[in-house]
Amino acid sequence: MIPGERHSTARGGIELAGVTKRFGETIAVKNISLRIPAGSYCCLLGPSGCGKTTILRMIAGHESPTEGDVLIDNENVTGFPPVRRGTAMMFQSYALFPHLTCVDNVAFNLKVRGVPKAERHRRAREMLARVRMETFADRLPAQLSGGQQQRIALARALITDPRVLLLDEPLSALDEFLRLQMRGELRRIQAEVGITFIHVTHTQMEAIALADMVVVMDQGRIEQAASAREVYDQPRTGYVARFMGGQNVLSGTVVARGANTLTIKSGAKEVTLTAPNAPPGEDALFEAAVRRDHIRLSRAASTSGQPGVNAVIGRVAAIEYQGTWLKITLEEACGEEFVVNVPDNIFFADPLSVGEPALAQWDAGEIHFLAAGAKASASSSALGHTEMATAGER
Amino acid sequence: MRSSAIKLSSTTVSYLQVAPLLLVLLAFFGIPLLMIVGVSFFEYDGVSSVPAFQFGNYTDLFTSRITLTLYLKTLEYALIVWAITLVIGFTVSYFLAFHVRNILWQMALFLLCTVPFWTSNIIRMISWIPFLGRNGLFNQALMGLGLTQQPLEFLLFSDFAVVIAYVHLFTLFMIVPIFNAMARIDRSIVEAALDGGSSRWRIMWEIIIPLSKTGIALGSIFVITLVMGDFFVVNTMSGGHSASVALAMYNQIAAVQYPFAAASAVILLLIVTLLVAAILRLVDVRRELAG
Amino acid sequence: MQRDLGKRPWTFYVLAAFFALFVLFLYGPMSAIFVLSFQGPTGGLTFPMNGVSLRWFSALFSQERTGDFAGGFTRSILLAIIVLALTVAISVMAGLAFRRRFFGSTAVFYLAVASLIMPGLLVGLGVGLLYQTVGVTPTWFGSALGAQLTWTLPFGLLIMFAVLSRFNRAFEEAGRDLGASNWQIFWMVVVPILFPGMIAVALFGFTLSYDEFPRTLLTVGAENTLPLEIWGMTTNVTSPALYALGTVTTLVSFTVIALALGSIAMIQRRRSRRISSRTPATDDNEGAG
Repeated sequence: MIPGERHSTARGGIELAGVTKRFGETIAVKNISLRIPAGSYCCLLGPSGCGKTTILRMIAGHESPTEGDVLIDNENVTGFPPVRRGTAMMFQSYALFPHLTCVDNVAFNLKVRGVPKAERHRRAREMLARVRMETFADRLPAQLSGGQQQRIALARALITDPRVLLLDEPLSALDEFLRLQMRGELRRIQAEVGITFIHVTHTQMEAIALADMVVVMDQGRIEQAASAREVYDQPRTGYVARFMGGQNVLSGTVVARGANTLTIKSGAKEVTLTAPNAPPGEDALFEAAVRRDHIRLSRAASTSGQPGVNAVIGRVAAIEYQGTWLKITLEEACGEEFVVNVPDNIFFADPLSVGEPALAQWDAGEIHFLAAGAKASASSSALGHTEMATAGER
Repeated sequence: MRSSAIKLSSTTVSYLQVAPLLLVLLAFFGIPLLMIVGVSFFEYDGVSSVPAFQFGNYTDLFTSRITLTLYLKTLEYALIVWAITLVIGFTVSYFLAFHVRNILWQMALFLLCTVPFWTSNIIRMISWIPFLGRNGLFNQALMGLGLTQQPLEFLLFSDFAVVIAYVHLFTLFMIVPIFNAMARIDRSIVEAALDGGSSRWRIMWEIIIPLSKTGIALGSIFVITLVMGDFFVVNTMSGGHSASVALAMYNQIAAVQYPFAAASAVILLLIVTLLVAAILRLVDVRRELAG
Repeated sequence: MQRDLGKRPWTFYVLAAFFALFVLFLYGPMSAIFVLSFQGPTGGLTFPMNGVSLRWFSALFSQERTGDFAGGFTRSILLAIIVLALTVAISVMAGLAFRRRFFGSTAVFYLAVASLIMPGLLVGLGVGLLYQTVGVTPTWFGSALGAQLTWTLPFGLLIMFAVLSRFNRAFEEAGRDLGASNWQIFWMVVVPILFPGMIAVALFGFTLSYDEFPRTLLTVGAENTLPLEIWGMTTNVTSPALYALGTVTTLVSFTVIALALGSIAMIQRRRSRRISSRTPATDDNEGAG
């Protein structure tokens, strides 16, 4: 369809250049720049209202940016209708045409392009076979289950031979079992067709399991765009650390500095940590994260004792058994909830019970320093993030 | 690739899409309405109207004793019919919405109630004549049962007949909006109230009636405006013994007294508007109407 | 309401009886007319029946007894078809327009609502005065058509609001995504999906026009529509021919209603039907059913 650029092996590289989207007074997307490599599986992850669906719709051409440009394979496609972009979208509701059979739904694109009936049905049936739905060709969408409808929607999008497939919360309407099954299927099909998949989700584990690249968003901004492992293990900001889970965030103002340590006031407690190479000055905001599963937990005499460096003392507030490990929640340990994941064999060797004081310690190497300062206020947004993205900022 | 030749903004598309509706409504409702107001100030004699600007028609209207009688009679009809249709409409809707459990049965019975809406009002009205007449079915039944020796005379061509016909014609306009409102009430609220030990009467007063309010208001607007604007039911069913504002207006038109009829129309419209505004003040139906 | 399946409260029976009486009240008089239209040649306007005959139906076609039945009937059907077509086209377009807020949308909406509750005789008077002032002769296909549209269009618009509130915009976006032009989206996606709603609008357009009386009375011009013929008969025809006419026009209405509701039901059934015998080989463990 589009001359040039299409001969290269990987297609569907995307670039957003300074993209802003306003809806009246509210700003849904704030000056975002992002590069998504061709042929990758990218997940846009964030709470509802963070702007991720708006980005998807701008790439698809169902919204146009207020400012900035959308480029696909180095071609500026801003203002192009969807079909000229070489994108295809899979809608959250699937949007299968209720009056058309599955094969006619899949053949819709061929029909509007004037492909004769026999030819378009043949190709539609081939595509149905690819998503293992060939025996359902003559049914209407209402006669299918949610998972089956989704495969039809996938086939209908793929038949346009897109270079980018855009998926808007594709798994949210499915039950747990089907979701896992379809997750694998999506990954398989993406590898098969070798085009870029951009998948919007609000489920962290879905993003991590699927994506080559995870883009974590909040309030119309990108908090971090990196590989799944990096986003989970080395979150850039407190927001990402809290949103992804798996990390405890220690956040507060610096109240004292030692030789190679610093002490922050976090909530009512003071926490002393090994300082980073370039330590912040006093009264500065400081944030660090420690993985929940890289912490040692032991019984303490009382909650008022001094924990020492790289440790906190709190009271066990909750114990949740998770099979191979236990999730232990401490209260009064620092300014926010502090969770330790303990392997079951270690925990049951000397079980703690709710209400007991406990000491949590970690090695200096486990401390991951976060970019504090500008986003220090994120602690509030991480908790009540649902409506935040609508609050415009000037 | 061919690209779309003309790019229309979405607002332009909206205006183009709504334009036919607007044109028809302006040409056949808006402008005629202004015509009525304008002509109401004209002068007239026995054969023609003369353009003028004078309030003679209105002073004639307000000084005539018949005017007040007509309005009182019309309002009386409206009030009686409103009360009866409300009771019937509410009861029927309540039965359909809360006592018929099978959704197919519910739809079928609802349709049974609405089908007459799509048939001729005049035919439905005159179908009461063989029923209520001197030798009508009703009198024959009464005499057959020995309840009365003489046929009852008041049945046909009376206020009674007028009200019966109104109720027969207009109850649908109550049922449809009230049923719609009731169908939207979440059944679990009623369930929860029942579990909480509320009596059915309390549920009725505290849940069902408040949540059906918009439907009741819409139905009331329909019924009241229909009765206030009617002339042919009064004409036929009262047998000339009674009249309404619209019937008087119709007679003025027949007598080619257009300016006078127009003045009556303006006053009737004002009163209907006031009644509708009063209902809208009590209940906000805008959201309901806007879907 | 699963709690008291099987055992119904006593109020159910009271309300059911009330409902049955109401239905009797609705349909009883109409069925009396239906029976009386088969009155024997010497029978009168009331019971008892003096034999059974089709005489009053054939009387409809002799002008000296009943006026211009055939002409009125033809005009009414034609007018109803024109109103139907215009109501569907204009209401669908306007309904689509109202999905976006535009300057003046509230004003247009209130204009439509006002037009809906305006007493019909007043619409007729206004249109009549307008035609008189402009100097155009009123006709059933001109002034009466316009007057009827002020009544059918608001109904059509309200039905379209209800229909479109359940119409997902994603259908149009999917069409655009799949390369359809605006025109193709309209004809291949929007119209087919909205079709049942459009039948409902058509039903209203046809029947409201076919039976319209107060708006038509002063705007029809020289040639009457059927309801006006009937109105004339109520004052000067004192034979069961009046009932025969009532039976005929009600049967026409019933046919139209049955056609409309039947086709809506058929489309909806087709779209929501589930095939009970599913192919097990490809049904890969999906629990839905």
